[in-house]
Amino acid sequence: MVKANGGIQLEGTVLECLRNATFRVELQNGHKVLAHISGKIRKNYIKILPFDRVLVEISPYDLDRGRILFRYRN
Amino acid sequence: MDSAHLFNGTGEHAVAITRIAERQWHALEDDQVVGRGEVSHRPDGRLFLSIDAWHDVVFDRLADTMLADLPRPLYTVVDEADLDLMLQWERAGFAPRRREWEYVMPTDPRITGLGSAPPPRGVTTLAVGEAEEGPLRALDRVIRDEIEATVGWQEMPAEVLSGPDGPPRPDPAKYAVAAWSDQYVGLVRVAPLARQPRIGLIAVRSDQRRRGIARALLAEVLGSAHRRGIATASADVNQSNGAAIALFEGVGARRTGSNLELVLR
Repeated sequence: MVKANGGIQLEGTVLECLRNATFRVELQNGHKVLAHISGKIRKNYIKILPFDRVLVEISPYDLDRGRILFRYRN
Repeated sequence: MDSAHLFNGTGEHAVAITRIAERQWHALEDDQVVGRGEVSHRPDGRLFLSIDAWHDVVFDRLADTMLADLPRPLYTVVDEADLDLMLQWERAGFAPRRREWEYVMPTDPRITGLGSAPPPRGVTTLAVGEAEEGPLRALDRVIRDEIEATVGWQEMPAEVLSGPDGPPRPDPAKYAVAAWSDQYVGLVRVAPLARQPRIGLIAVRSDQRRRGIARALLAEVLGSAHRRGIATASADVNQSNGAAIALFEGVGARRTGSNLELVLR
């Protein structure tokens, strides 16, 4: 777990791509969150698929929400 | 520094917007980053923005601050299914410029129908990694000139755009080509993603079109992926590119989403 000044960042695995541009991600601690992709990922046309390992920033306002910051090479 | 007030259910909190670097802005609540903005140059010189914020008010204030500092035109990309983000950019004055469909296509030749399609007479296809760099660069230059003279490279994928130092050198490790006589006449660029390769560009010289060369190139790269056990490939296609849409839909590709390029002039 990384505690950046932007909030908690955790690695996770994408379980499902949902219809409204969100993803269900299971974090390393077993917690599941709904996550959007970051603007930087979108700008670079990086595709997120089920089973991708990703770095997620957890919302400081809602621990069930997050933002995918990075997709690891599998 | 600019400031906003954020209501999070427990009271009012001041959010300050700070430009932390030439291309980066932060929204800070106390000492915590609750929003980020970034601007980057595409190789063709266009400025693309991104903003990540947990609340609309923070997004709006980041956008206000960034737009006040930056020249026009400005661009961004949104997933069309992300309605909240679309609304946020529209509030900032951005409007759609073009749409790219996301396609996913099967690789199995029994589904694509490409298994029984031989290349056009006299045309041979070379698999990804087999092309010679010299002829590939020559074809790349011809195709770039043709596209620049017609639709323009702003309609093409970011990864193949020319930069200040000219176009990127085509890497044979990412291209399959079609050869005819003693020259290359068509190419397909493939991003070799492990589970779902991405077709980034498929193009044929204008004097060699309507012979089935693009279809033969597609048969080469999809067939290769199928033999490696990969079930699907993806591609992004400009909605105005009727030839590419017909090509991909003709092999069973289905639309899975769309991205909008927005512009603020």
